[in-house]
Parts: sequence; structure tokens; C-alpha cells
Amino acid sequence: MASINLRALAPIGVFFLLCFVIAVFSPNFLSVSNAIRILNASAIPVVLVMGATFVILMGSIDLSVEGIVALCAVVTASLVLNDTTGANLGLWAVPFAVLAGGLIGAVNGATHVYLKVPSFMVTLGIGFVCLGIATAALGGFPVRISDRGFRALTLGRSLGLPNGIWVAAASVFVALIIQERTRLGRYVYAIGTDEITARQSGVPVERTRVLVFVLAGLFSGLAGAMAAAQLGQGHALIASGRLFTTITAVVVGGTALSGGVGSVLNSVVGVLIVVVLTNGMVLMGVPPFVQQGVQGFLIIVAVSLALDRRQLEVVK
Amino acid sequence: MTEKQKELLRNLVPIFTLLILVFGIAAYEPGFLRPANLITVTADTMTLFLMASGATLVIMLGSIDLSIQAIASMTSCIVAAMLPIFGGTALLFALAAGATAGVLSGLVVNYLRIPSFVATLAIGGIMTSVAFWASDERSIYISDADKSAWLNWATGTTGGMDNEVLVGLAVLAGLSAILSLTRFGRLVRAVGSQERAVVASGINVNRVKFLAFVISGFMAGLAGLVMAARLGSGSPTLASEFLLPAIACIIVGGTAITGGVGSIWKTFVGALIIAVVRIGMTFVGVTVFAQQIVFGLVLVLAVAMTIDRTKVAVVK
Amino acid sequence: MTAVNPVLELRNVTKEFPGVRALDCVNIHVGRNEVVGLIGENGAGKSTLVKTLAGIHRIDEGELIFEGEPKSFRSPRDAFNHGLAMVFQEQSIIQTLTVAENIFLGREREFLRFGVIDKRAMNAAAKVELAKVHLDCDPAQKCARLDFAARQMVEIAKALSLDGRLDGDVVILLDEPTSVLERREIDLLFGIIRELKAKASIIFISHRLDEVLEVSDRVYVLRDGAVVHETTSSDASITGLHEHMVGRQLDHQYYRENKQRAAFGNPVLSVRDLSIDDEFSNLSFELAEGEILGLAGVVGSGREAFARCLGGLLPPSGGEVLIDGKPVRLNRPHQAVNSGFGFVPSERKSEGIVTGLSVAENMTLAAGERFSRLGFIRFEKERTECQSWIDRLQIRTPSSKTPMQSLSGGNQQKVVLSKWQIFGSKVAVLDHPTRGIDVGAKEDVYELIREMADQGVAIVLLGDTLEEVIGLSNRILVLRDGEVSASFDAPVGGKPDQLDLISKMV
Repeated sequence: MASINLRALAPIGVFFLLCFVIAVFSPNFLSVSNAIRILNASAIPVVLVMGATFVILMGSIDLSVEGIVALCAVVTASLVLNDTTGANLGLWAVPFAVLAGGLIGAVNGATHVYLKVPSFMVTLGIGFVCLGIATAALGGFPVRISDRGFRALTLGRSLGLPNGIWVAAASVFVALIIQERTRLGRYVYAIGTDEITARQSGVPVERTRVLVFVLAGLFSGLAGAMAAAQLGQGHALIASGRLFTTITAVVVGGTALSGGVGSVLNSVVGVLIVVVLTNGMVLMGVPPFVQQGVQGFLIIVAVSLALDRRQLEVVK
Repeated sequence: MTEKQKELLRNLVPIFTLLILVFGIAAYEPGFLRPANLITVTADTMTLFLMASGATLVIMLGSIDLSIQAIASMTSCIVAAMLPIFGGTALLFALAAGATAGVLSGLVVNYLRIPSFVATLAIGGIMTSVAFWASDERSIYISDADKSAWLNWATGTTGGMDNEVLVGLAVLAGLSAILSLTRFGRLVRAVGSQERAVVASGINVNRVKFLAFVISGFMAGLAGLVMAARLGSGSPTLASEFLLPAIACIIVGGTAITGGVGSIWKTFVGALIIAVVRIGMTFVGVTVFAQQIVFGLVLVLAVAMTIDRTKVAVVK
Repeated sequence: MTAVNPVLELRNVTKEFPGVRALDCVNIHVGRNEVVGLIGENGAGKSTLVKTLAGIHRIDEGELIFEGEPKSFRSPRDAFNHGLAMVFQEQSIIQTLTVAENIFLGREREFLRFGVIDKRAMNAAAKVELAKVHLDCDPAQKCARLDFAARQMVEIAKALSLDGRLDGDVVILLDEPTSVLERREIDLLFGIIRELKAKASIIFISHRLDEVLEVSDRVYVLRDGAVVHETTSSDASITGLHEHMVGRQLDHQYYRENKQRAAFGNPVLSVRDLSIDDEFSNLSFELAEGEILGLAGVVGSGREAFARCLGGLLPPSGGEVLIDGKPVRLNRPHQAVNSGFGFVPSERKSEGIVTGLSVAENMTLAAGERFSRLGFIRFEKERTECQSWIDRLQIRTPSSKTPMQSLSGGNQQKVVLSKWQIFGSKVAVLDHPTRGIDVGAKEDVYELIREMADQGVAIVLLGDTLEEVIGLSNRILVLRDGEVSASFDAPVGGKPDQLDLISKMV
């Protein structure tokens, strides 16, 4: 297809180069079990970037990822069979978690749009509010899940692959449909490219902005449920580091922070790059605390490569 | 209402808020107004003020610094790890490290043209890694001998006044003088008000931004030292909880997130408001965990109230 | 002269902005299947009129009548939905969307199947619209891949898509659609306009009189916000229209021609083969102390880009610029300023003044170093020097500490000009220095320009009108398509005629 240009291919190239380099240093990297391990580790980040990509395509940002994931993990853990509450909803807890995430997303979006507060400020504040709620509701203690059936959401296997991978794949499918085939998806690009023109062309800018934050919240909620299933508990710190991975993955995948350029598929590649890098560093014996620094560095490199500097007169 | 009256109102609202809060608490607990208690409260507030003081300049530019908590944690680790080996020189190392983080943020924003909220988020991640590395991933205890030898300037008393307060007042006076008496201070305001016009007037705006980020990093570093001194230890997560309150106290004091308007004494008042609110919540019985919820909400509301909407055609 | 069946009518429409009456009792009507031309100089009120029709500006007085009923459009989209489609000067194409998505942006509803867009149906429908403008391109391709002319056609196709989707009449407004098109594309466009006449009414706005006459049935001339002339194209001549466009007999006093210098000082500025890709190329001239060089040219002639280049806001891609014989770098504004350029931008509110700073702070913004010692501001020196400038330029402000935004446009502009005088710029680059300020303030600015020339400042001037350029300049360069097409001497008593300039502009 003619519409694929070099810039869109660059992340894929980086991904293969990375795999090659790691494989040279650590032959264990190229095994089926390690590939599955990488895909499994990618599952939650992939679900998270599905929402974050739409927000960033719009030129906004969602810094409340960790808060929403943590709160929704706590909600999930409290609704399935656990050591703290008397609930036992099993897998039915998942829709509640997703809805809770969507609700917080709605608060983000509505505050951002109707109070006209920049999204990074709103989501920073609301994210902390969520973390606060997650902490306060439990008094600082975790909720332990004793429902094995529920934990199969990520731990069980279907067709030989962990279920978490299937959930992530389904999320990508849904996000792709939204991006390519719905008005919401098309309006996101229009707003991200040129909001004023979009508005003059009749795009319902306010509604779209709110809906995108709701969408991001829904995906974060799902990721929260998955995190609870994976770790078998819900607590306030369950998501620490997720925000960083999410933003790194989106920008490394080639979605521009200025909006309008990118795609959910780019972000999937971005997640794979970040996860492979982490996996490779573990295989090569790099201490884990270096990862946040490496990701911070990656963000800077990726954003500076993607920015069209001539277009930006004023950088705040 | 004329510009002047509006300005007066903007200046007075935070002060009145502070007074009302103070007397509200005094109504419950008359002992609160004892000078000794007020000094203690102020002393407790100073680490927060120090962190926010430099960042105020960055916000006045219309940018933001999301790395201050990571910088403070990092300098606490550096000073705690290096005091036993290098003695007082460790303080200089730590402050230089803080300023260096600011240098990096400034360079990334200026030359890679990356928006400050992403740039400082990424630099913050890198600083967190440095903190983990410097501390070997644990809290480092500072011996009493080292503390009394090298950190007395931060935690001791001078003529019955806590040294924290004196340090805070010195910073207040110094940064206020820079803002109101120097050309740099005026340019900070100018860039925040109308950057394009300042550029067209032949001002090297990059230099102004750079210096503001360096001051912000330096002050965050200083805050980390004072924190380490007060707690008697350094840790890579020492200041993690401080980002939100620090930004909140800048905004609550009346400095607008859109830039151009603000001052250091406003941040000083804002820090006191945050401290008094915290004390008040403890009185009323709000747990420490839940306080974050309140601060998150206060932040979003304060931004919504102080933001200058005429300045941004499109809120992202 | 009344056309049968007016579809769109403006009755006594007035629109005021603070200090300026942008539209003054305008009466215009557009008949069914008629092409109406609208001409006027910069600042005559054309763009205000367009924005008023589109619902971007509210009408202060008078009414807009569409299909016989008074209407008030809330937004361009609202106007569009009623059948009034605009093709703006600045394109409203979203480059990251496909051609089809752009044509039907905001109207995807008709292609929805179970909430999902049927792309095949949308592309097929787009193909039909594209055929109307004879544009043969894949509707599924991104607009970013089209060239400017093709995007313009997509925009027109978007407007045409109303046809057949509405019961009522369709009016299409084309705002300077030809300014960037090649002759071949213009011919194509005019062919389309003639075809369209069968189904729609068209308002055609342009500064190219020949084109307006070629394509329109009837022409309105706007000047100073009012309709000063109306004629059928068959009765009109370019010369006649032009006289109406310019109007006022030239008043030498207005431009302070008595103060125009005849002899100049030493050469200051020399520009040699200066170029910016896609903007202008090989520009060369010399300028002496106290000389005023006017630049004339239409939008896209490259003169705006040239002015911004001298201000350091658009880096040159070739050639060199010397001040006092020394080459200067123009990659950043501070290099330009420190070399001796003082740029007065056309966008006063966003680039000229710093709202939020005081009058004095604005005045000394560029010359800050002279007003500080070791980084500390010398407030007393600043106050006295600024006060003397305020008195001298008769800037109406309560004090030097007054916030800049509370001054009127004219007084703000005087502060901007004084900024460069205080700094001591050798070459002042004035990009539309009288844009958006009222008549009295304009005269003050002219006075100030003469005074600057007297003090030996070399001046490069981009005027708001041709009349202004001719009245103020000692010499005039005409730019066309990024190159100098003519040079005129303009001494007092020997000023060139506007028509001479225009013939070299287009």
C-alpha cells in the first residue's frame, strides 16, 4: 500500500533490530516460552495503550492511568471471592471494574472539557484522587483474591496461549474498529489535526473529547481487572510504573504527542518494543530499577524524533 | 471590575483563605494560635514550599515541572549515601545533581522542543533510576554525628527560631527579589504572558526557560536535603507523595497554570494553606490516605479557578 | 439594480469592532444562479463580510435574509446546513483524514450501518462529488498526499455535496480561491463555476480584478467597510473598478509627504540574492539611512515572508544580508535584533505586544540590557526615559505602569514602534503597521514613521493599502511570485500610479 511511509515503518524496524541485538547477547531470548512470556507481559500494557492512544491522538494526555487501574483492581478484588468483603461475583466483577473505569474517565473528560482545564492537570489530580480512594478504602492493606476461576481471566490458557493475551487481542480488535470505522475514531483524528477546523466542520468536539476519556477509562478499568487477576490481589500500588510504560509505548510506537498522527497498531508495536527491552534487560542481568530511567530516555528520544519541529513555534 | 481590582482580589483571596482556615482550626483548638505552634507548623511546611518555590518560576512561564519529587528523592539519597564518605561536600554534590536535572529538563524542552510536561515526566523517571542506583534500592540512615555536623543548618534552631523557617524565608526573599528586581524575573513573566511577542522582540527565550528549569531543579534538590535532614534518612521514594501538594500549593496561592501571573509569596501562602488544610483534616479525622483525595480535588478546582481562558483558543 | 429572486441578501448590515466600523450599512444581494464578484483592498471589509455570512461574527445591525427569511447562522456548519457553503482562504481540510472523510466530515450519519461507517458507500458517494469538480483521485487517500490545488478542489467538492442533499437553494462562497492556483487550474475552476451556475449561486471574492470580471455576472466594490459601487460585469472596466476600490483622491498631507526626505545618509542595509524556498528568491536591494522602501505585492507574493525573514522569524535558505557592510545572521530573532533590525509584526496582539506587562516594560523589552545593571533593573532610569517617550509620542496612557492591554490599538502600536527606537534599531521592518487601528491613530503612526526616517532609521514598509505604500515610500519594489517584478522611485511630486503597480503585481 502506498500510504505506508518510512516513518510508520520505523517502529517495526526498531522492534526487529532490538530483538536481533538481544538474541545475539542472550540466545534464550529466541525461545517459544520466552515469546509467550513477552506476549503475556504485553497483555495489560496493550489494553492500557488502546485508550491512551486515542487520548494522545487528540493532542491531550491521560496521567490518571495508574490511579484508575489501581482503583479498578481494588473494585474487582472486592467483588470476587476474597479475604476482605463477602462478595462472590466471579467474572461478573469485570464489567463492574470496566464501568468504574469508564465513570472515572467521564469525570476526567467532563472536568477537562466543561471547566476547560488542560487534560494533564485534570488527570494528574483525578489520578491522585483515585489512588487516594484505593488506599483509603482499604486502610492501606491489600485485598487478597481467593477465586481461582476468576484468576483464569489472565492465568488460564485457551488454544495454548494465556487468556490475558486473548483479552488484549480482543481489545486491539475493538479499538481498531473504533479507530477506523466509527465517527468517534475519525473525529479523534480531525480534532487532533486541527480542532478549530474540525469544529467549523460540525464535529461535536466537546462530546468527542469526553467520550475519548470515557473510552480510555474503560480500557484502564479492564486493565485493572486483569491486574487483579494476574496478581491475585487488589491494592493501591498495584499499578505503579504503568503510566510510564503506557506513555513510553504510545510515543515509541510513533503516535505524536501533538495529535493527529498515529494509530492503535503503532502503540501495539510500541508496547512490544518496551516489553522486549525490559525482557532483554532482565535476560542480560540489568538491574530492574534502571528500567524507569531507560523508559524516560526512550520517551525523550521517541518524542524528539517524531516531532515536526518547524510546526511548533512555542513549546510550553 | 478594572484590571487593578481583579489583581487585588486575586492577591487577597489566598490570604483570606489562609486566615479563615487558621481561625477555623483555632476555634476548635485554641492552642493552635500559640506562637510556638505556629512556628512548628510553618517549619513543617517549609520542605513543601522549597519544592514548590522553584517550580513556581516554571509554571509562571506557562510550562510545568513534574520531576521535582523525583529530584528531591534523588538528592536525599545522594546526601545520605555520600555524607559518611565526603562529609559536607556531599551537600554540594546533591545540590549540583538537583540543578543538573533542571539543566537536562531545560535542554530537552529547548533543543528537542518537547513539551515540558512530557520532558519533565521523562527526566523525573531518569532521576528516580539514579536515586535507586545511589541508594542501592533502600532507605539510607543518616548518623546523628553526620546530621549534627552537616545538616544543622536545616534542622537546628537559631535564636529560638527553627532553621527550616529561616531557610524558607531566605528562599522566599531571594526568589522574590529575582522575580521582581531582575531582568530575568521580568522575562519569566513576559514569556508566560505572550511568548511569541517576546521572541519577536529579540529575546533569547531559551535562556530564560533554561534558567527557570535549573532553579526549579536546584530548589527541589534543596528540598530533598531538608527532608533528608528532618527524617534522618534518604530514600528513592522519600518525596513521591509531594508532587501533587507542591503543584497544588503553587496554584492555590494564585499562580495561574497558563503562565504570566504569579509570585513566590503566593506559593508561600499556598504552601501554608495546604499545610493548614492537612492539619484541619487530621483534626476532623480524615485519614492520611484520604487526604490525597482532597488534594487531588483541590488541585483541579484551583486550576479551574485561576486559569486564564482567554489565552488558550484550544484546551488540550 | 435588482436581480430577480434574490437567494441571499444583506440589508443594512453593520459590524463594529472596538474602535473600528468594519462593515457600514452594507447592502448586497445574490440572485439565483448568479455569480457575484466582491472586490476591495485589504482592510476594505471583505473578510469581515465573509465571517459575518458564516456566522463567525454576529451582525450588530441590519439583517441577513436567506431564501426570503431573516436568518442568523451560529457557525460555519450551521450556515452550511442551511445551504450556504464557504471555501475559505485558509483551507479547512483535515490533512490526516481521507478525501472522502473530509467531504463528509460531520455528516457521516448517512453512511452508518449499525454504528459503523460503511467506507465503501462513503467513497462511492465521494467519487460522485469529485466528478463534479473534475478531480480524478482516490477518495480513500489521505488529503496530506494531495497538492494544494487538489485540496482546494476537494474543498469545493465538499461545498458541492450540498447539492442534491438539500431541498432549498445552495450558495457557494469562494474566498480568494485563485490566489495560489496556476492559470491552468484557474481555467478549470472557472469552467466548474460556469457549470455550477446551473444549480447554485456563487459569491466570488478576489483581488484580481481581471478574474472577477471574467467569471462574475455582477460586481460589488467594497471600501472602508461600505459598498461603494455596484455594476454588471459587461458594463465594467478594470480601470473603473480600480478607481472605485481606491476611492479617495490622494491627499498629500495625509501621508506627511512634506516631511519626506529627498536625500539620505550612508547606506545601511544591503540584501543580496536572499531566498527562502517556496516563498521568494534572489531578492536584492540597498537601503540608506532615512530611506523608506515600500514593498508591494499580493498575498503569496513573498513580501510577508521577506519581512518575517528580516525579523529573524523565518530563516533564509540562501543569499546574504549585510548591515553597515557586515554580514548578519538571521536564523533567530535575537540575531536579527542585535544586528540592528526592529520588526513590527502585523499580528500586533500576539507578536507585537506582551499583554500582562506594563507600557514601560513593553517599551524596554528589547533594550533591557541598557536598563539593567548586573541583571537588576534600573527602575528610575526606565521610568524617566519611558515617560519622555510617552510624552513625545503622545501615547494616551494613565502612566508608564499601566497594563498594556488597557491601551487602544493605535497607542499600543506606538509603544511597539517606540520599543525599537529605544533599542536603537538601524532598520525598522514595518509589517502592516496601521492594520486594525483607527484613522486618527493611523496619522500618528505616519508621523512617527517620518520622524524615524528623519533620525536616520532605514525603513522597510509593507503597507495595508497600495495608497499607503505609495504615499510613504521613497522607493517601491513590487513583488510577484517571489521575485521583484518592478522597482519605482517615489519622490514627492513623482509618485507612481497605483495602476502601474498593480499591473506588475498580478
